[in-house]
Amino acid sequence: MKTLFRILVNFVLFLLLSFFYVNGQGKVANYGNIPDEVVAFRKYREAYKYHFIEPMQFYGAGREKPAPTDLEEVRLGFLGPLEGSMIVDLGMQMLQGSMLAIEEANNKGGYNGTPFKLMVHNDFGLWGAAANEVIKMDDEGIWAWVGTIDDINSHVAIRATLKSEILVVNPGNPDPTYTETAIPWVIRVIPDDRQSCYALVNRVYRIDNYPRVAVIRTTGRYGREGTKHFNRTATRLGFPIIIEERFNDGESDFKPQLERIKKISPDAILMWGNARESGLIVKQIRELGMEQPIFGSDRMVSPEFLKIAGKHAEGVVTTCQYNPNTDDPKYKAFKANYVKRFDQEPDVFAAHAYDAINIIIEAIHKVGLNRVLIRDVATDMKTFQGHEGITGIMIFDGAWNNIRPIFMAEVRNGKFEFYPVPPWVQAKQ
Amino acid sequence: MKKLIKKKLVRYTLLIVVILGVTIIGVTLNRRSFADQNVSGRDRDLTDFSTIESLEKARKGYNVKNGAEKMPVYGNWQNFYKKDGLPSDKAYTVRINGDQVLVGTHDGLAVYENGKWRTYTTEDGLAHNGVVSIDVSVLTGDVWLGTLGGLTRWSAGKFETFDQFNSGMPNDLVYSVFCFGKDVWMATGGGAGSYDSYTKKWEIFTEQNAPMHEPWTYSVSAGDGKVWIACWGGGVVEYNIETKQFRDYNDPDGFMEIDLDPDDGVIHAITTATYYAEGILWVATYFGLSRYDGRNWKGYFDHDCGLISNFINFVRAEGPVAFICTDLGLSTFNSDTWITYKRNDNNEDGKAIVMKGTEVIKEIPLSPSISHNFVIGVDVEDDVIWLATSKGVSRGERIN
Repeated sequence: MKTLFRILVNFVLFLLLSFFYVNGQGKVANYGNIPDEVVAFRKYREAYKYHFIEPMQFYGAGREKPAPTDLEEVRLGFLGPLEGSMIVDLGMQMLQGSMLAIEEANNKGGYNGTPFKLMVHNDFGLWGAAANEVIKMDDEGIWAWVGTIDDINSHVAIRATLKSEILVVNPGNPDPTYTETAIPWVIRVIPDDRQSCYALVNRVYRIDNYPRVAVIRTTGRYGREGTKHFNRTATRLGFPIIIEERFNDGESDFKPQLERIKKISPDAILMWGNARESGLIVKQIRELGMEQPIFGSDRMVSPEFLKIAGKHAEGVVTTCQYNPNTDDPKYKAFKANYVKRFDQEPDVFAAHAYDAINIIIEAIHKVGLNRVLIRDVATDMKTFQGHEGITGIMIFDGAWNNIRPIFMAEVRNGKFEFYPVPPWVQAKQ
Repeated sequence: MKKLIKKKLVRYTLLIVVILGVTIIGVTLNRRSFADQNVSGRDRDLTDFSTIESLEKARKGYNVKNGAEKMPVYGNWQNFYKKDGLPSDKAYTVRINGDQVLVGTHDGLAVYENGKWRTYTTEDGLAHNGVVSIDVSVLTGDVWLGTLGGLTRWSAGKFETFDQFNSGMPNDLVYSVFCFGKDVWMATGGGAGSYDSYTKKWEIFTEQNAPMHEPWTYSVSAGDGKVWIACWGGGVVEYNIETKQFRDYNDPDGFMEIDLDPDDGVIHAITTATYYAEGILWVATYFGLSRYDGRNWKGYFDHDCGLISNFINFVRAEGPVAFICTDLGLSTFNSDTWITYKRNDNNEDGKAIVMKGTEVIKEIPLSPSISHNFVIGVDVEDDVIWLATSKGVSRGERIN
C-alpha cells in the first residue's frame, strides 16, 4: 500500500515539475555575465522564459527611405546634464568627449565632405523633460544621438527614441534595467552596474571573506538600482546585507546613518553615490573611528573624491569600466588631444562618449544617412562586436550591453591604481 | 466489485476523485466575471463612464458579438499610403469616429471621409505633427489627439493645445489618450494625467502619489469605473475612480531577465498598453501578452501559442476578442483561437493563420494583405477593421 502511494506521489510530482520544462522556453542561458551560481531561482527551478538571449530585431519600415542630398551638415544629437543638475561636471566631460570625436571626424572630411554637427540638449530632470528633448532632436533631423547619465532621464529618453526610431548609443548610464527594456534602438558602450556588482561581491565575499556587510547608498534610482545586484547576489551566496542606510544627493552630514552602522560593527562597508558624497562619507567613517574596509561605486574614481576624502581614501576599493592608466596608444592619443583641447583630464564619461560618437560616425560611413540602416549596422552583432574603442573592446550581449571585463580600482598612495577584475571564485564544496 | 471497493487504495482514490469533482463544479458555478467581482452596481450604472465602445455595446450589442464562438476573419484589405493622400507612410494610431476615420501619422493628422483623405498639421493648430494617440469623447464629440509635443483638442473645427506651459499636463510627449466619460486620461513622458472637461481641473499621477517606481507611463485605458495605466518598469497601475484608490500589478518574480512563471501575474515590468473589455484586462509588453480575468493571470509568448511576436506595440479589445499589434503582424485572440494577419515579404499578398495553441488549423490566403507587418495601431467597428502600420494604413472587412 505504502509503496503504491509513494509511486503515485512521485508520479504526480514528476508531472508537476516537468510541466514547466515541457512548456517553457526549453533553453537555458545566461546573459549579462551572470555567474552560474547566482542565476535567479536556478537553485530551485528553471524559469519559464529567459529574455535578452538573442538581440531584438527591428521589423519596421524605413530602410528604403533615400538619403537626403541637400544637407549642409550631418546632425548628431547629444543629451546630457549640462545645467541644473548635481552631475553637471560629468555631463560636461561627456559633452567634451563627444565634441572631440566630432571635431576629429570633421578634420578627416566629415561625411563625404559634409561636416558633422552636434546638436546639444540639456537633460534637465524635471517632469520628463528628457522626452521632450528627444522629440526636439527628432525635429532637428538628427541621425543618431548619445546620452545620458542619469538613470531616470535615460529611461524617459529611450521611450521617446523608440517612438521616434532614432538610435541612441549610451556612454554613461550604468542602470542595468536601461537595456532590459527590449528596445531595438539602444546600445550601451559603458559596462553597467551589474558588472560592477558581481566584481565587488566576488571581492568582498569570496576573496576578502567579509560576511557581514553594511550598505550606505543614495536614495535615488542610481543607488537603488546600482546596489540591487550586489544585494541580490550577496543574499544568494548566503550573506544578506546586515543594514542598509540611505542619504540624499547634496547632503553633507552622514553621521546619523554612520552611527547606526557603527553600532552593529559590520566587517565591511559598501557605499553607492556620487564623488562628493562618497568622499564625505569616507572621511566621516574614519572620523567616527570606524576602521572597516570600504568598497564603493565607480563614481568614486574621480579627483573630487580623492580631494574630499584626503588621506582617508587610502585602501578604498571600487570598480572602473576601463583602465585610465592603460598604455594603449589609441587611448594615450585621445587623452593627450583631450587635455590639449579642454585643459582637463578626461574621465570615464568623456572616454565612453568619444567611443559612442565614433561608433555612430563609423556606422554612418558604412550605410549612409538612413536611421534604420544606422541602427541595423550598429546592432547587427557583427560590425561592432569586438570593436576596439579607446576604452577597450566592445563585447555586446543580447541586450546590447557592453559586458567586456572591467577593472578594479584601489586607492594606493593617494592615487587610484587599476587592475583587472579577478575571476569569479566558486563556492567551496 | 465489492472486493474491489473494499480495497483501501481504490476507496481513497474514489473519495479523492469525488471531492475534486465537487470542488471543480462548485468553483465553476460560483465563478463570476471580473466585472461582477470588482465593480459595484453603482459603478455599472454610472452612465458618464462611457466610451465609444460602451455606447456601441448599448446600442446594438458589442461589435464582434460572435467572437467567442466564431473568431472574426478579415479580408478584402485596402491599403493607403502617402501617394494616396496620407501625410506620411508612418502611421501611429487609428480611430474610427462615425463616418470618419482618424489616423495619426508622423507628419500630421489624416482624416478619411467620403473616400478622401484630408491632412491637418501644426499650421492648422496641432500641438505637434507627430500624432501618436487619438480618442473621441462620446459626451461632447471632441477629438483628443496625443502628440509628440502636447495634447490637442479638436472641437467644432478648432484646435486647442494643452502643454506643460499652459495647463496641468505632466509632460508634452503624450503616448496615449483615453476619454472616459467627462475625463480625458493621458499617459505621458512624465506621468499620467487626467483632465476633467467639465471643471477643467487637472490631476497628475506620478511616483509621488501613485504606486509607480518612476513616472514612466506609456498607455492608459479604462472601463467599469477603473483606469489602467501601463507603467514602463512598473507593470500596471489600477486606479478606482470612485474610491480614488490605487492597486498595482507587477511581475512577481522581480527579475527583468526572466519570467519565472507565465501565469503568476503580469509577465514583465515593462508594459506598453492595457485594454479592458468584457471583464478581461489585456496587458501588452515587449515580452509577450498577459490576460487577467480578475482572479487569474495568464501569460502568452510566441513560442507557446499563436501569438506571432512577443514585441507588442498596442492592444485593443472588442468584446471577447483582443487585437494585438506586433512587429510581425496583427494577432487576434478570443482566449481560444488565434488568427494572425501577415504580409508576404516579397509581394503585397499575405495570409491569415488560424491557430489553436501551437497548432496551425488553417491558412487563409489574402490578396492583398495588410500594408506592413509592423502594426502600431488598430480600431474595429461593426465588420470593419483599420490598422496603422509602420508603412501605410489598412482597411479590412469581415469575411466570415
